Amino acid sequence: MRSIRDAVNQVHFNRFRFWFQLAAFVLFVYGGYLAIDLGSRLPFFSCGYNQEGRAGVCYLLPLQHQLGRPWPMLFTAAGLSILTGLGIFVLWFIFLNKGWCGFVCPLGTLQDWLTALRRGLGIRYAKYSHGQFKQMTKVKYVLLALTLLIPLGIGGGLWSHDLSPPFCLICPARMILPAFTGDFSQFTIDFSSKTAVVMTALGMMVTALFVVGSFVKKRFFCFICPMSALHYLFSKLALFRLKKDGDKCTRCGDCYRVCDLEIKEIADEVGKRDIMTDDCTLCLKCVASCPEEGALKATFAGITIFESTEAGFVRRMNKGHQP
Amino acid sequence: MNASPTPEVPAFQRSRQARESEITLDHITDDFDGNPAAMQYFYDLFRRVFIQGEALPHEGKLIGTTCIQAPDELIYAVGATPVRLCNGSYHYDQIGADFMPAKSCALVKATLGMLHSATRIPKTARPDLIVNPTTCDQKKKSSAMIEGMGYAVYDLEMPNVKESEEARLYWQRSVRQFAHKLREVTGKKLTRQNLKKAIAKTSRAQAAFRQLHNFRKSSPAVILGKDVFLITNAFFFDDIDRWSDAVEKLNAELTQRQAEGFKAAQRKAPRILFTGSPPVFPNLKLPVLIEEAGGVVVADETCSANRMLYDMTAVDEWLVNDMVDSLADKYLKPCTCPIFARNDDRKRRLLDLVASFEADGVVYQALAGCQVYEMEQKSIAEALNAQGIPMLYVETDYSPDDQGQLSTRIEAFLESIKTRKRKAAA
Amino acid sequence: MSRLGLYAAALMALLSTTVHCQDSGGTHRAEGGRPTGMAMRGNVLWLADSPPARGDGPPRSGMGGMGGMGGMGGDRSGPPVKRLWLRAGADPQKSGFAREDTEATVDMTLVTPQGKPEGEPLPPAEEGKKNLSFEMPTQGYYRLYHTTRKLQGDTLAIAVAKAEVTNFSHGATEEERSVALTAPRVLEAAPIEIVREKNPGEKLSFQLKSGEEQAFVVLQKGLPLLGARVRFVSHDGWTKEAVSDEQGRVSFQIVRDYFPSWDDFQKRFKATYLVIAEASAAESGRFKDQPYTNVRYQATLGGTYYPSPDDYRSYAWGLGLGFAFLLFCGTAVYLYRRRRVKPFQEVRFDEKH
Repeated sequence: MRSIRDAVNQVHFNRFRFWFQLAAFVLFVYGGYLAIDLGSRLPFFSCGYNQEGRAGVCYLLPLQHQLGRPWPMLFTAAGLSILTGLGIFVLWFIFLNKGWCGFVCPLGTLQDWLTALRRGLGIRYAKYSHGQFKQMTKVKYVLLALTLLIPLGIGGGLWSHDLSPPFCLICPARMILPAFTGDFSQFTIDFSSKTAVVMTALGMMVTALFVVGSFVKKRFFCFICPMSALHYLFSKLALFRLKKDGDKCTRCGDCYRVCDLEIKEIADEVGKRDIMTDDCTLCLKCVASCPEEGALKATFAGITIFESTEAGFVRRMNKGHQP
Repeated sequence: MNASPTPEVPAFQRSRQARESEITLDHITDDFDGNPAAMQYFYDLFRRVFIQGEALPHEGKLIGTTCIQAPDELIYAVGATPVRLCNGSYHYDQIGADFMPAKSCALVKATLGMLHSATRIPKTARPDLIVNPTTCDQKKKSSAMIEGMGYAVYDLEMPNVKESEEARLYWQRSVRQFAHKLREVTGKKLTRQNLKKAIAKTSRAQAAFRQLHNFRKSSPAVILGKDVFLITNAFFFDDIDRWSDAVEKLNAELTQRQAEGFKAAQRKAPRILFTGSPPVFPNLKLPVLIEEAGGVVVADETCSANRMLYDMTAVDEWLVNDMVDSLADKYLKPCTCPIFARNDDRKRRLLDLVASFEADGVVYQALAGCQVYEMEQKSIAEALNAQGIPMLYVETDYSPDDQGQLSTRIEAFLESIKTRKRKAAA
Repeated sequence: MSRLGLYAAALMALLSTTVHCQDSGGTHRAEGGRPTGMAMRGNVLWLADSPPARGDGPPRSGMGGMGGMGGMGGDRSGPPVKRLWLRAGADPQKSGFAREDTEATVDMTLVTPQGKPEGEPLPPAEEGKKNLSFEMPTQGYYRLYHTTRKLQGDTLAIAVAKAEVTNFSHGATEEERSVALTAPRVLEAAPIEIVREKNPGEKLSFQLKSGEEQAFVVLQKGLPLLGARVRFVSHDGWTKEAVSDEQGRVSFQIVRDYFPSWDDFQKRFKATYLVIAEASAAESGRFKDQPYTNVRYQATLGGTYYPSPDDYRSYAWGLGLGFAFLLFCGTAVYLYRRRRVKPFQEVRFDEKH
């Protein structure tokens, strides 16, 4: 048991995560070909527009669709189905918490690949200043509010159906993920109405921004992702958690150093045990790069499954040694 | 200068200065039983360097540093050799008294005295550059004085607050500029390869140190604090790879000792955490006194040992820009030096060390004139006492005069700890 | 889970269900249980999925044109119900309700995936309602045949109006589909019928788009019929005639005949086409105790088609805008990083060695 735990804690974490993400990407982008269908309440961007390959559908798509029904319908059994849908979403979510973002989300994985490409080219990454960070971190909540309110407006007849589903229309996953199965039909501008022109044009621009943004900035999109905001509303219920023992922390900042989302609290906060913030993707890179025994740990239903160790740190940061 | 060996004892070895070191080293080696065999490397090293005055070779340019805040990795990367100039000699302290007011820190005075002397012990070449991080006031003010002695001095700007993001960026900028300066001095630039190798060099040393550090958790102790201070003091000037080899060898020996149930100190010996101004050879007075009195120094929080080697660098992307910033972070963020405006981290660090090393008490050394340590004394004592941990505050300097008085105080402190333990056990 | 998939399917592909046509005028049964015929007002009877009054055109609700299908989305209980109207006249837009023809005999047969392959009679429309409706409890193809037999002199006129309705939710499998496709054809009730040829790669959510080529097969008593005169009528009444080959096959390009101004353009505009096949045969027999020597066959099949995405979606603009913005953002980031010397990061390192 002890040796298993040591093996886990000393794992070459980035390598493990790369393969895990690759497997998840293949599953959710191509799983549909193997008739895998995990439903349409998935808490990450398994894009529904990828009709052939998807192994399940991102919850934001049906959620916006449900909210976009005519108002009287929302107060009938259909309203109830929104709640059951949310329930299923939460059940999925609490299993991995935001780990869905850090390990499974195909769009997140793609960003990591773009990052790897940039790293390979020897281009340094961009950072937000502290002030920019504070502004940008709110964007996800604004997007979430729009994602929920615009469909309500559509259902109430205020706006055209061409605006629906609003977030999906501007989400880069709609363009990019179907392209992985050879479906490039989303790379178009829809001239059928003015709204459609605006939304599809926005979609293309966000896609371009996504590519440039995540090339220079690690996990650029996650920072503004409304799914991430939705996650955070339920994160108190989650089984998979990131814990910190502030007493063991030297505030050396190693975890902050490697954090893709530039979360300062991970290094500086020593009072809270539950350290996951709304920006966190639970990628656990911080745990892997913490040299203090047990200062950071990932737990599942209270059981520690991966924790920081000195030996693990030394092994993982051992890049320059010549054998 | 005649470097060839002569049958007579050389002049230096007969000097008062060498005698000072010899007394300390003799105490360390002779007053204790069962010194680890692997310690012989360090005993010999100190004997050669401090008593025989043997010259130390170096590669590339020699960069003197006056504080642990100067990133060694950058220096190694550009093919230069760092040497830590902080000095513990009473002889140099007296010479340095000409530069500083009487009530100043002995360490700063000794360092100035050493740099001012014709023979600098440890005997290195003349540093091509001296990096002086702007830490405490006394060190800051020494910059101009060292420059006045004809050395090239670089002020490595340190922020006064370390918590803020602005301070972090300011320090990253300082470190980047320092790297730029190193390029000017050495003519070599940082590359991914040489920096990666340099980081590997220091992290190997750090890993070895951490292993040694962890051995000190065992009870009864398998190694004494005086030996550990000697080892970390050797890191100031010794070749880093040779130093790592020697520590790894010692670690292997300690592994065996631990398996055999070896006792370096009595089972009931009070376990002491050492904090405050750094003990620098030959001024290992206080740790040696503690252990001679039957205590054992199981851990420390000083910049001549733990703080210098404990915190390791994490890098996300092994590109030059990221590695340099990572190094900068490592040198600033975990630092518990009292020069910073706030020092909650030092309190937390001490409490954690007490808990994880099962220390029974804390000895706080303040070198007379080292204001920042003197000023923090009260708050640290309060934080420790709140947890029921006794603390002995010792204000001292490099002179040997107060030894008798100190040993009385230390014995009393250790005795009180033993009494407490007996009471607690009963 | 399949239900969950539905919203998605509906949204993205404009509908998981293709509706080809529909049925019914009101059919009545006489008291003795024998059906009485409907009059043939025009000479063509066909099944449409909308009544003449409402006409065709854009979907009534915003649910991706699924209004007619009911039950989709799981918010109503019970299986989806399909309503069809029998209409008379060869113009999809102008044809009105079929009137009752007392001289003709009418059979109505519904073939369902779960039912007998030869189909079952469809109960008559509810009193006072003009549409025929049936439930679709399982997935698959539902076919409704409205067969009229009428003697005109020595010629027996047999007219078969057919509607094929697909009911596939998103979760439907290809297997279900192929089972539905290979089900045997009814012979007795519908001596002639038109079958829309399904492309092998066709998805369950298939929608015919203007501009596409669509083939139809004319079957007489289950066998391909050579030489049938087949007429295709577009939504706006444009027609084209062709003659079936030895496979009974005939193919038409679905013309684009929807040209509204841009402001009025509806990409989900549902247009109706009508295919009419006619053939004569020298068969003799007796009908209602009257002899005949000739049989005139007529088969109709209605269907819907939509504007082609090529008419309103542009790759050139999409990719053009995407690349232009990519270039813009890329250049902006590059220049920002080149030009702006941040106060804390003015020292840069060369990553090359």
